[in-house]
Amino acid sequence: MARVRREARIVTRDAAPTPHIAHSAAVGAVSPRDASPAPVPKLELRGIAKTFRTDHGDVEALAPCDLAVREGELVMVVGPSGCGKSTLMSIAAGLEAPTSGEVRVDGRPAGPAGPQRTVVFQRFALFPSETVEGNIAFGLTVAGVARAEREARVAEQLELMGLARFRRAWPHELSGGMQQRVAIARALAVRPEILLMDEPFGALDAQTRTVLQGEISRLRRVMNYTVLFITHSVEEAVYLGDRVVVMSSRPGRIRRDIAIPHDEPWRGLEIEDASMREEFIRYKREIWELIRTEIVRE
Amino acid sequence: MAPRRSHAEPVPTATSGGATRAWRAAWRREPGRAAWTAIAIGSLCVMLGAWAWATRPGGAIPALFLPPPGDVAASFVRLVSRPYLGSTFGAHVLSSLDVVIGGWLLAGAVGLPLGIAMGWWRRARWIAFPLFQVLRPIPPLAWIPLAIVWLGIGEPARIFVVFVAALVPWVMNSMQAVHSIDGLLVRAARTLGASDRQILTRVVCRTALPTLVAGARIALGNAWTTLIAAELLAATSGLGYIALNASRTLEMGILLVSMLVIGVLGAAFSFGMQALARVFAPWSRGART
Amino acid sequence: MSASPPLAPPSARPRAAVPAALIVGAASIATLVVAWQVVAMAGIVPARVLPTPLDVALRFATLAVETFSGSTLEGHALASLTRWVIGAACAIALGIPLGVALAWLPPLRPVIAPAFELLRFIPPFAWVPIAVLWFGASTTTQALIVFIAAFPACVINAHLGVSLVDPILPRAAAMLGAGGVATLRRVVLPVAAPSIFTGVRIAFSNGWMALVGAELVVGKQGLGFLISQGQINDSVTTIMVGMIAIGALGALIDFGFQRVERAWLPWLAFGAKRAS
Ligand SMILES: Nc1ncnc2c1ncn2[C@@H]1O[C@H](COP(=O)(O)OP(=O)(O)OP(=O)(O)O)[C@@H](O)[C@H]1O
Ligand SMILES: [Mg+2]
Repeated sequence: MARVRREARIVTRDAAPTPHIAHSAAVGAVSPRDASPAPVPKLELRGIAKTFRTDHGDVEALAPCDLAVREGELVMVVGPSGCGKSTLMSIAAGLEAPTSGEVRVDGRPAGPAGPQRTVVFQRFALFPSETVEGNIAFGLTVAGVARAEREARVAEQLELMGLARFRRAWPHELSGGMQQRVAIARALAVRPEILLMDEPFGALDAQTRTVLQGEISRLRRVMNYTVLFITHSVEEAVYLGDRVVVMSSRPGRIRRDIAIPHDEPWRGLEIEDASMREEFIRYKREIWELIRTEIVRE
Repeated sequence: MAPRRSHAEPVPTATSGGATRAWRAAWRREPGRAAWTAIAIGSLCVMLGAWAWATRPGGAIPALFLPPPGDVAASFVRLVSRPYLGSTFGAHVLSSLDVVIGGWLLAGAVGLPLGIAMGWWRRARWIAFPLFQVLRPIPPLAWIPLAIVWLGIGEPARIFVVFVAALVPWVMNSMQAVHSIDGLLVRAARTLGASDRQILTRVVCRTALPTLVAGARIALGNAWTTLIAAELLAATSGLGYIALNASRTLEMGILLVSMLVIGVLGAAFSFGMQALARVFAPWSRGART
Repeated sequence: MSASPPLAPPSARPRAAVPAALIVGAASIATLVVAWQVVAMAGIVPARVLPTPLDVALRFATLAVETFSGSTLEGHALASLTRWVIGAACAIALGIPLGVALAWLPPLRPVIAPAFELLRFIPPFAWVPIAVLWFGASTTTQALIVFIAAFPACVINAHLGVSLVDPILPRAAAMLGAGGVATLRRVVLPVAAPSIFTGVRIAFSNGWMALVGAELVVGKQGLGFLISQGQINDSVTTIMVGMIAIGALGALIDFGFQRVERAWLPWLAFGAKRAS
């Protein structure tokens, strides 16, 4: 099928050879989980570019970017600050229109933003006029989900995120970590096909971040979501990702796409332990080197 | 010099220095709850006493300038017990309340949707905001003569003036409230599948509710203030009308009572609206903004 | 980024919107004026009730040179301005020190607060009848009403400004050896200045509104008086000229204050944005 062929083409382009890392040669071409003929990607960004028009001229935020995320895959995006990561995310979510290129979901043009692709923002963006419960239920309420079903799903999320005790609290009564857990629960409650996260732990303290990173990796094992996850922490990227996409400095383009296989010996460890392992450090150093050259280039 | 000074410093001075410091520190501390209440009541009593003393028969202030507190109390009893200027005191108060609530609600019915629309749709703001910018500096009171020429001295003229006075705060605050909503909340709602309409009603209006109520409170305050002025100029009943008449007939006690009742009702409006905000927007109580 | 309106796509040119807004705004005002002219000329309502904008403009020019009810338009404006400045100046001179004192010396609060809160809710115009009895139809009466309208804003904003100063600053000043007065003058007041200045602005604006009301009721000169004379003479054009003059002067002076504020208080310019 045409779709399959196109996918294959994109994959080969993604798989730029990375001499320092042994696994990279095969990266992207073969998803770690299903080695069968490349399926239609769940989320596909095709030639996405974005130019902002401002008073003082045009700002080219994104150069044409191609990125494909397979079903159940967690792709991490790292890059220097201001390289267009958030822009990429907004476009993927359908919140912003690209200047050129298109977003596809399941091989079809994606429509406007909607519960099929939910977003967890860096600033929590909880609705101040809704309780924890109300925030989590929001997407279900606006979709007109029946009450019993809604309550069941909210309860499930409260349980999952350890928020049951705070169900009736107002957002301003919660700590930052709890607020972010509510934001994640809110995004998950609508059972999105794709989860988009824009530096979700950026505003948190180190301990809370570690705990939530652990929870995300646990959630992943349980629920198998398709996730595009933006971060500025290389460690987080290596720890959580199936793939790490490194972006160039502005205008952002995809510099490198690195697969992190599932059978790495540190998989399943806590992040502090994992980050001590030699293999982990090798990935980290490689990615850091790429980002450093990008920052210097700028 | 220095050694001599330190040598000469006598012990009592040091103590008195300490006392001064304690005295100073006391002036920089908020009194406790009990002390606060005691001082407040004491202060009120002293003022009342000074008033009574200054206005006593043969006192410094003649009763025609300021009547003694007893006169004011007696006037209050007189006002409540017998009709004044053709109707009972209650009827006068009701007449004022009628106009103020009517004009305020009317202004809200126009101003609230208009303000929300102006905050939400940029084109609506472009069109309507300049008009309000032009109208805003004209004090509502300046409309009174125009209202009288157009509508006569009846109730419609007063309702019109109150409407004008309340409209600007209704519109401006509603617009501000909606306009200053964090755009991220709108985006979040959109990714969760809310339609434009649901975003407007479930996210924007609810988030803006505390500010909307604050705008309503300001509008009510303006309406009340303006109504009193309108009643001074064109009315046949109402608290302002009582005040003006009492001043013409030199009934100082009645004049003061009407002023006090006007003040008490104004305060009641203000606190009532604040209570309303707490009931309808419980999350705003401790919200950090 | 945060300045973009909620529903507009964030990619919309943010700055280019300003001229468009100006054009639409000017067009909307122009439409209104033209519609007014057309309706007035069409004769649906008698000219006595709704004169055309042109009539009003002509009346404006006439009043500027001819004496009406005792003086020209400028004369009336000057009379209003004088009372306004006297009343507002007194309110500022008394209100700001009181507000600062209330914030700086907390034991004063229970002494002042009960009476202040009791009187604050009596609208300035409710004082007009009693002020007339006290001082007759004089400048003092008008200035007193301005004072009553302006005073609370001065007190409240000065109090707010000083009490919101971070307590670490006076402590730092004390640590550096500054006494109470020096701390207040050199550290606390400059930080509180934007809020105090806001209070002054609100005071002038409230005073102006109240003055118009007072002049409507009593007096023989002033813009409010001019309007009431227009009402008595059944001259809507005169009323409208008065309203426009009042609005324009008020707006002009508020604009002046904003400029002065930006020039004099370049530090903490954003702290001043809290209204009454
Ligand atoms: N609405 C906008 N108007 C104009 N320029 C914009 C707008 N939004 C983003 N930009 C520009 O686009 C570039 C990319 O912005 P973006 O927010 O995507 O960066 P980022 O990679 O997410 O940065 P960070 O890591 O700091 O969050 C920046 O140079 C920014 O200045
Ligand atoms: Mg970003």
